[in-house]
Amino acid sequence: MKYTFTLLLIFSLAVCGYSQTLTDGLMMSKGNLCTGFMYSHDKWKNYWEGELERDNGNIGEITTQSITWVGNYGITNKINLIAMVPYVMTKASQGVLHDMQGIQDLSIGVKYHFFSKAWEGKSTFKAFGVLNFSTPLTDYTPDFLPLSIGMASTNLSGRLTTYFKLDKGWFVNASGGYTMRSNVELDRPSYYTGDQLYNTNEVDMPNVFDLFASIGYLKNGLQAELNLMQQNTLGGYDIRRQDMPFVSNKMNFTKAGALVMYYLPQVKNLALRAAGSYTLSGRNVGQSTTIMGGVLYTFHFSKND
Amino acid sequence: MKAFKILSLVAIVLMFVTSACEEIDSAEHLKLLDPDNVDANAGSWTMILPITNNQFAASVPAPAATTAPAYINELTAIKTAQARLTSSEKKIVQYWGAGGVLRWNQIMRELVAKYALAPAPNADGTYPVPIAENPWGDPAFPFANPPYAARAYAYVSIGQYEALKSAWYFKYQYNRPAPYVTDQGVQALLPQSTLPSYPSEDAVLSGVTAELLKLLFPGEVDFINSKASEQRYAAMWAGKATTSDISAGLALGNAVAGYLTAPGTGRFRTDGMGAAGGTKAQWDVLIDSAKLHYTKIGIDASNEIFWKSMDAPARPPMLPFFGNVRGWFLTPDQFKAERAALGPPPSTSSEQMKEELAEVYNETEKVDRDKLHIVHFWADGGGTYTPPGHWNDIAADYVEEANFSEVRAARAFAYLNGTMLDAAVGCWGVKYYWFNPRPSQLDPSIKTLTGLPNFPSYTSGHSTFSASASVVLSYLFPAGAATFQDYLREASISRLYGRIHYRTDIEKGNTHGIAIGNYAVTFASNDGAN
Repeated sequence: MKYTFTLLLIFSLAVCGYSQTLTDGLMMSKGNLCTGFMYSHDKWKNYWEGELERDNGNIGEITTQSITWVGNYGITNKINLIAMVPYVMTKASQGVLHDMQGIQDLSIGVKYHFFSKAWEGKSTFKAFGVLNFSTPLTDYTPDFLPLSIGMASTNLSGRLTTYFKLDKGWFVNASGGYTMRSNVELDRPSYYTGDQLYNTNEVDMPNVFDLFASIGYLKNGLQAELNLMQQNTLGGYDIRRQDMPFVSNKMNFTKAGALVMYYLPQVKNLALRAAGSYTLSGRNVGQSTTIMGGVLYTFHFSKND
Repeated sequence: MKAFKILSLVAIVLMFVTSACEEIDSAEHLKLLDPDNVDANAGSWTMILPITNNQFAASVPAPAATTAPAYINELTAIKTAQARLTSSEKKIVQYWGAGGVLRWNQIMRELVAKYALAPAPNADGTYPVPIAENPWGDPAFPFANPPYAARAYAYVSIGQYEALKSAWYFKYQYNRPAPYVTDQGVQALLPQSTLPSYPSEDAVLSGVTAELLKLLFPGEVDFINSKASEQRYAAMWAGKATTSDISAGLALGNAVAGYLTAPGTGRFRTDGMGAAGGTKAQWDVLIDSAKLHYTKIGIDASNEIFWKSMDAPARPPMLPFFGNVRGWFLTPDQFKAERAALGPPPSTSSEQMKEELAEVYNETEKVDRDKLHIVHFWADGGGTYTPPGHWNDIAADYVEEANFSEVRAARAFAYLNGTMLDAAVGCWGVKYYWFNPRPSQLDPSIKTLTGLPNFPSYTSGHSTFSASASVVLSYLFPAGAATFQDYLREASISRLYGRIHYRTDIEKGNTHGIAIGNYAVTFASNDGAN
């Protein structure tokens, strides 16, 4: 269930000025670096064991907190490099299971603004492609779910984003991504999933498809949006009755969220950001509520801007 | 600069794509069985059960001569079948060609892992009990916890061993050569052997194993039947056995299983497993009897803290009367003597317990990655093949490597699993005799790195299972003794690293397990197989 965290990073953590994230339709200008820290707090009590929604007295509420360094650099006006490194802490409110914490995965993405069309004085349409790579920076275990700090797979994802904005400030944004995940290794020599005993410590991680859509307003230093995200794991199996979650489970969810970002008029280049989301439905994941906040600063290295 | 960046990105992508898409190979690969020694005298090896070969003579009547028309017809049937074998049938031949004992051991581990899940609580905080008549219910039947699994592995392994010794006895009584020896037209699709073919050892194994497994895992009847049937077909398709070899083998396997499972009288029915779960009323008096045990040795029980379930909602103790189940190589008096030799756990109010609790606390207060690896490598908790399964997994490599005949492979698993059942009985007897609390109960700030088992702490089940297994495996495979010692140490200490056991639980568990393992070794040393 921790995986929700990784994807949340991709989905809703802002990376800078007017929220240039992997999923949105915004770019950092050439020579600019926007960097800062984001804090995220994710909590759930109910979870879906397969399709059965339940709680579990042996874990109570699972809280995942993270502090993520983020950076977005404009290589050119059309190519941005986006990187993140989160430190993750997990905790169960009941039961005896030990909490976990540590540096999770380094994520590096290249975002390419490859198409643009403007209708003078009215609106703009843009399209973006994103290639993102992520890999664990530490050898944390993915085999202690729901308390593992991550899934420990090395991922490569491709993403296509389209963005349409009225000059008055209203915008809609849609993004779809496909993530290939490497096999992961467990500490144990065998495991059971999907009606089969695997006599190996290696686990095949099913790939993931996600969709993200948002509608909002962006003008005069303010960005506000409502968004919806959907993730489907293309393979994997359900958590068995009263079993622990397993790293390659079929983890699906739909989340609704909101985001506000504001550039402080008093302090140039400093932005505050807050976001939240709630899991509407899911499978083999926790029904989590997430809140996030962050402070981001933009450095201008290029005189042209 | 830009080109360099793009190039390095492409390189990363390529590395990723090539490494990410490797297929997981789930199968446990085994080489084809081609034993160095057919163990022609195995028919005279000592039985573990109080049985004789003659008892099963009716299942294995004198076979027709190899010149009899009926037998010639059987040979023709093999040749006809071989002429039209499909590729999937050939795969089945190869699969079972690795040896039925090893294959069934894998299947059994898979079944245990499938069923090693505790019942989920009811809405009112009680727990439903798995019901054999409703194996697909919620909860499924069985809950294959470590004692249940130990008993399952033991019955199947010992049943196989007894049935195969008997098969060997009749094989060398009748000396019917393999079909591919009698008839040059029959192909040998697997390595040839001088072993007589009547009754077929594959069919013996299919019968005795399937009949026991179906009782142990009643939700898997179809799966088990299909595997058993495949094994018999494989023997025929491989040119190893004719229809009469197979039907006599099946009858013999079924007869040995029938002996074990006869309603009302069979060992399987009367070994005390039925009462091992106990009733609510019986659970309530467990602590009272534990108090008496302390009083008996002069300790004031009113100062003792006794085990309680740390599950939420509190879960009934796991098989509290499993200590009364019948063992394989120890009598009830011997179990009692071994328990007495261990003595009590440190009193929960003692200085020693305070120190041991502090050790548990300090051990992994900050998670050490190397220790966590050890904890998880040996955890073998819910949804796994359990600690006895892990030792079967380890043993399987040695059995395969040793090129044992089927009957000698069965012998290895019989002693291994027999002693681990004894370890379960002995350990569970100690656990509920003293009712000692887990570290997390005495100090709620102790958080664990693996699931906390729902039964008393003293002594450690892992340490007992592993010690008994290590003793028996060291006897069977002396060259591996040092490795088994390492495994034993690591499996045992993993419970301290995981913060679910005190050091005393582990050390006494090892002492107990070694003593228990030695009973099996004593038996094995005199069974005529050496």
